[in-house]
Amino acid sequence: MNRKSRNREDTMRKLPLTLAILGTTAMTAPVFAQELELPIVDEPLELTVHMHWPRAQGYGPGGDTSKIYPVEEVAREKTNIHLVDQTSGRNTTDNAEAMNLLLAAGDLPDIVGGNLIKQPVNQYGPEGAFVPLNDLVEEHAPNIKAWFEEHPEIWDAIAAYDGNVYYIPYLPDGKYARAWFVRQDWLDALGLERPDNVDELHDVLVAFRDQDPNGNGLKDEIPFFVRDWEEVLRLLNLWDARSTGADVYHEFYVNDEGQIVHPYAQEAYRDALANVAQWYDEGLIDPEVFTRGSSARDYLLGENLGGMTHDWFASTSGYNVALADKVEGFNFIPFLPPKSASGQRIEENRRIPMKPDGWAITYANEHPVETIKYFDFWFSEEGALLANFGVEGKTWNMVDGEPIFTEEVLGSGQPVNSQMYLEGAQVYRGYPQDYRYEWQWTRDSAREGIELYDTEDLLVDQFLGVSFNQDEQEVYDRYWPSIQTYMLERQQAWILGSGDVQEDWDAYIEAINKMGYEDVLEVMNSAYARQYGG
Amino acid sequence: MSADLDPAIGRTEELVVEAREAQRSRRPGSLQRVGDHLKREWQLYVMLIPTVLWLLIFLYKPMYGLQIAFKDYSIFRGVAGSPWIGFEHFQTLFGNDQFLRALKNTIIISFYGLLFGFPMPILLALMFNEILNQTFKKSAQTIVYLPHFVSSVIIAGIVITAFSPSAGIVNTIMGWFGIEPIYFLTKPEWFRPIFVGTGVWQEAGFQSIVYLAAIAGVSPTLYESAVVDGASRWQMMWKITIPSILPTIIIMLIIRIGNMLEVSFEMIILLYQPATYETADVVNTFIYRQGIQGGQYDLAAAAGLFNAVVAFVLVMTANTISKRYSRTSLW
Repeated sequence: MNRKSRNREDTMRKLPLTLAILGTTAMTAPVFAQELELPIVDEPLELTVHMHWPRAQGYGPGGDTSKIYPVEEVAREKTNIHLVDQTSGRNTTDNAEAMNLLLAAGDLPDIVGGNLIKQPVNQYGPEGAFVPLNDLVEEHAPNIKAWFEEHPEIWDAIAAYDGNVYYIPYLPDGKYARAWFVRQDWLDALGLERPDNVDELHDVLVAFRDQDPNGNGLKDEIPFFVRDWEEVLRLLNLWDARSTGADVYHEFYVNDEGQIVHPYAQEAYRDALANVAQWYDEGLIDPEVFTRGSSARDYLLGENLGGMTHDWFASTSGYNVALADKVEGFNFIPFLPPKSASGQRIEENRRIPMKPDGWAITYANEHPVETIKYFDFWFSEEGALLANFGVEGKTWNMVDGEPIFTEEVLGSGQPVNSQMYLEGAQVYRGYPQDYRYEWQWTRDSAREGIELYDTEDLLVDQFLGVSFNQDEQEVYDRYWPSIQTYMLERQQAWILGSGDVQEDWDAYIEAINKMGYEDVLEVMNSAYARQYGG
Repeated sequence: MSADLDPAIGRTEELVVEAREAQRSRRPGSLQRVGDHLKREWQLYVMLIPTVLWLLIFLYKPMYGLQIAFKDYSIFRGVAGSPWIGFEHFQTLFGNDQFLRALKNTIIISFYGLLFGFPMPILLALMFNEILNQTFKKSAQTIVYLPHFVSSVIIAGIVITAFSPSAGIVNTIMGWFGIEPIYFLTKPEWFRPIFVGTGVWQEAGFQSIVYLAAIAGVSPTLYESAVVDGASRWQMMWKITIPSILPTIIIMLIIRIGNMLEVSFEMIILLYQPATYETADVVNTFIYRQGIQGGQYDLAAAAGLFNAVVAFVLVMTANTISKRYSRTSLW
């Protein structure tokens, strides 16, 4: 009861600080937005940065902070702002743990950046740890402002529960992530067409199971396999149910009425799961799907056993090259998602347009205006090219108005992204990614697949998440982990055949309601309405 | 009379009495006595320092943080700055069916672990003790120690492969007898046997070292006199070896009981599935999912504190029972 008042007290205590910062910005603020002027400051200005992300723990090539990224050198030259590493938790690769260390130590650098910063920044921003960026962006960051004016829903999505924005996100580009893949050479061997709907898909999988497409005389084929067992749930789409609402598994989604609901509490799910269980029972789905793990694709394709999967475009296409010598005639190609029972064709999995990664300004930063201008630099044309492709003339050149990687970069045998990470490009600073960067080193077979998927409107909207206030967070934390645990337990049991989803359904719904499902939906929807203007 | 035969005995007594008298007559102040004691035994205290420091830094200082079990903890506000909320986290825990299930599973799995895992190293040690061929003994020991040094991730990989329905050795052997393959790792009823069995296989060899050391400490004269009396090896084991190492066994048992709730949860995380949560989910995995992944450190601390209290009660009980019935105890 007095938790709330306690909280307010806390905010009050920190309010003067926030006000002071806002005050200074207000005084120096011009009335209208202006073009970004370079350099941002006349005298070099050093800002400390925490940059903890999967590829490097620290702001330097591969996490070696004694060296300076080539990209950083150019950025220093252009902006006169020098980022200096002050990363916490450099000995751990766990980004969340590093963030906790940073916050618990209390000695915040000027800029906090890296992986998975959205949740902590939006939780501790309103408590006073981070500076709200709304006014700063409005007044000093014309490029960021322009980008978000084109994508207002993303601005809504990154906001904290108090309505303020506390970080500038890393914004991935490109549409597709995973796709349906089939062994075209197996189809040819059995004289089959590519399946176009759920019934044809069933027939193809049965044929893969029974007609020995790999020709070794054994009935050892695994018709449908996946690496992460959760990918099996994509089959639910074939009977018009959803498996998730975002680019993570088991997420809520927004239904046709604009309400947030969970896919595993819908009647469509009940019927679809009954079918998935049926397919599992028929041996169409890898019987070891729950324990096969990440090596499933290597093993089942390499041993010429797997017929069909749902997996990433780029890496899955790569097997055509890798296995060309090992498996004769190997041809594993993407095909359009089969039409569902009601005739819909959707690809549920896509790239999310905004990541919980990026960077934020802390309360310890004495130069918030200069910092937001610096953030804005990475959204300008010049800065975005630098952030995406590295240093011009070194890793890329402008050819007919297109940034093209040099032969050295494309032909070095190293993946281009790994090279960029060492240059200081594609680092998880807040910047708009440019898909042209990836397209240049995407294999032809994947490109064909992407072009195939582009022929139809397959993608569904993503649920970009909500920012809870403290009371909502508490309800969610109290009920949701248990409900999800229960849902997954039942789900696996039904697929494995120890229980019948149709028979158990009423008891299941009753159980999740008793565990607080309705309360979770309520806080989800209230937060959603607040954040996206319902 | 004996004093006449062996004058040294009486002499010793005299010396002791003399020394005591001297001490009594001096009657130094307690401070001075401590000082004297320190001066005499300082080497021992120097050797004690690292352990005391370790205890203070790694066990006592963190106890300060235990208070977050009773607070609404925010990392940014810190331990001291977070508001008190009393027993709310404990109420949340005990109001959660999954926590209660995890508690039940923890106790059952630990109990099985104790039942099958505790005697095994003792048996192994006794067996090794009976092996006469040194080369065979050394290689056998190395083979049973080996799994202990393999990381849990790899052990889990071996277990998953061994119990796989298509390629696993277990199902292959069952197939020779015409038994249909079983997908063991998704069957709740199979989880505990597999987990406990893996634990025994992995640790029994290494744990037998303690008992081997205890056996090595048994005085050879006992065995020599037993041989003279014509005892068989079997009798020597029952009448000499086991009674001699009994105190070690009991101490190990008490420690083991204290650790009952500390199921090796990294192994469970590697082996369990939602399909087997019913029998596999233990308190630590529950804390991991609910607390650490969900960022609820205060709730996780509450569950951890509860674990510690239970462990304390278990150790005290085991110790008291042991003291009463076997006169062996930790303290």
